[in-house]
Amino acid sequence: MKNSIIYIFFVLLVTASCTNSPKTIAYGTDHCHFCSMTIVDKQHAAQFMTKKGRSYAFDASECMLNHLKEIDRATVETFLVNDYNAPGELIDATQATYLISKNIPSPMGEYLTAFATKEAAEKAQSDNKGELYTWEQLNNRYK
Amino acid sequence: MFANTINVCSQCKVKSVAEGIKVASAFDTLLIKKGTYKEYNILVDKPLTLLGEDFPIIDGEDKGEIIRIVADNVTIDGLFIINVGTSYTSDYAAIRVVRSEHYLIQNVVLEKLFFGIYLEKSNNGKVYHNKIIGDAVDEYNSGNGIQLWYSHNVVVDRNIVQGVRDGIYLEFSDNVTINNNASTNNLRYGLHFMFSDDDIYTNNVFENNGAGVAVMFSKNIKMIGNTFKKNWGTAAFGLLLKEINDAEITGNIFEENTIGINIEGSNRIDYKNNNFIKNGWAIKVLGACYSNFFSSNNFLYNSFDISYNSKLNDNVFDGNYWSDYTGYDLNKDGVGDVPYRPVKLFSYIVNKTPETIVLLRSLFMDIIDFSEKVSPVFTPDNLMDSNPLITKV
Repeated sequence: MKNSIIYIFFVLLVTASCTNSPKTIAYGTDHCHFCSMTIVDKQHAAQFMTKKGRSYAFDASECMLNHLKEIDRATVETFLVNDYNAPGELIDATQATYLISKNIPSPMGEYLTAFATKEAAEKAQSDNKGELYTWEQLNNRYK
Repeated sequence: MFANTINVCSQCKVKSVAEGIKVASAFDTLLIKKGTYKEYNILVDKPLTLLGEDFPIIDGEDKGEIIRIVADNVTIDGLFIINVGTSYTSDYAAIRVVRSEHYLIQNVVLEKLFFGIYLEKSNNGKVYHNKIIGDAVDEYNSGNGIQLWYSHNVVVDRNIVQGVRDGIYLEFSDNVTINNNASTNNLRYGLHFMFSDDDIYTNNVFENNGAGVAVMFSKNIKMIGNTFKKNWGTAAFGLLLKEINDAEITGNIFEENTIGINIEGSNRIDYKNNNFIKNGWAIKVLGACYSNFFSSNNFLYNSFDISYNSKLNDNVFDGNYWSDYTGYDLNKDGVGDVPYRPVKLFSYIVNKTPETIVLLRSLFMDIIDFSEKVSPVFTPDNLMDSNPLITKV
């Protein structure tokens, strides 16, 4: 009995320390891993989680893309970005559609904004001009 | 051609500011009498002076932007503006200047705001002696107090900004002078430069902000005679420098900050006559920083004077006063006879494993610091002040 309690305790200990979801960004206190700025904009923040389960948060998707130049992408499990139309909501960055438009400033001066759907991005484009990018096209731009 | 004065009040012929602007001709003055004016989206599209008498209140009732200036030579003076609308997609401001020049905004009091004064592609203007009081609780639903976006040759002088996201924010704005302002209790930064060159800020006070001042991706910034106080917190800085070149940092006071100056990737900066008093780290150097020059500074009672994260040193420390210096001056020339090594071995350990900070001031740490001081093995052996002063500068 005693042994099984100890065993359960250890199992709990091991599982408790591994969660497979990224850490929630604490807007207003967390700092961008790339540029040290406090993360405040809930419409432009980004985050990735490595295969080991470490999360890195960024104040803007351009900061995440610039940081990716410095690391091995193979170590990353998930890429996340804020959906512009749902502040604070993080979506799969690889499935998002991106707009670069001079009319929507982003925190690091690259005018880069992410949208959950292509339709939402196209609507924003018709309102604000600019160019649309997929995740792949965007990565080519930030090589 | 005489400029007329048009009175605006509840009993006057002209009852609202918007109406006053409509009937005025260029270069007239609207004299707005004491009272409350419930108006928003006031468009100033001709050269006018809007002068308040005994602080009339303009209440935007949270509906959006309150005053938008789209003409040159506009003066806004002595108004009390409240209740700017908040929105996720539009940065509503109490006063926004768009593509206009020679504006003067002075003696204005702003409360319950989203953005305060927003200058957009507007050069050659002045923002003088205003009071901006936000009640920002979290950064998300608050804008900046005074924001310059692509605006050059602007003077920002004697303003009081508190309780907003960034007190004063410059993006792509060159040749801006920022003097004598007090930017306190703001959520993020007291003053924040992004991609802005050739600016100068002097005699400002930055107290109790998330971080005092952040200067990023900018060139030729002069920082003279400012006070950076009480920026405490896990990642709070008095001054954050990132990717900036050719700056001058002279005669400032850094007092009681977690990190006095945090330097990343910044080159050719002169630090002279600054006082670093009772900070956790007076100076923390991260990443590549070359040709920085520190002289005639006072380092007084900081837990760590300098912290470094690499073995490479290309920065010069010469003729500073260090309160931790334990050397002697036998020839009485005012300069210590043994060099001072400001980087403690312990600071490397703390950089690697932050939790070890609990060992600060323990005997063992004092011993390893002492042995490292005697014969440097781990710290850059050329990182030293060969001429440490015996008395304060």
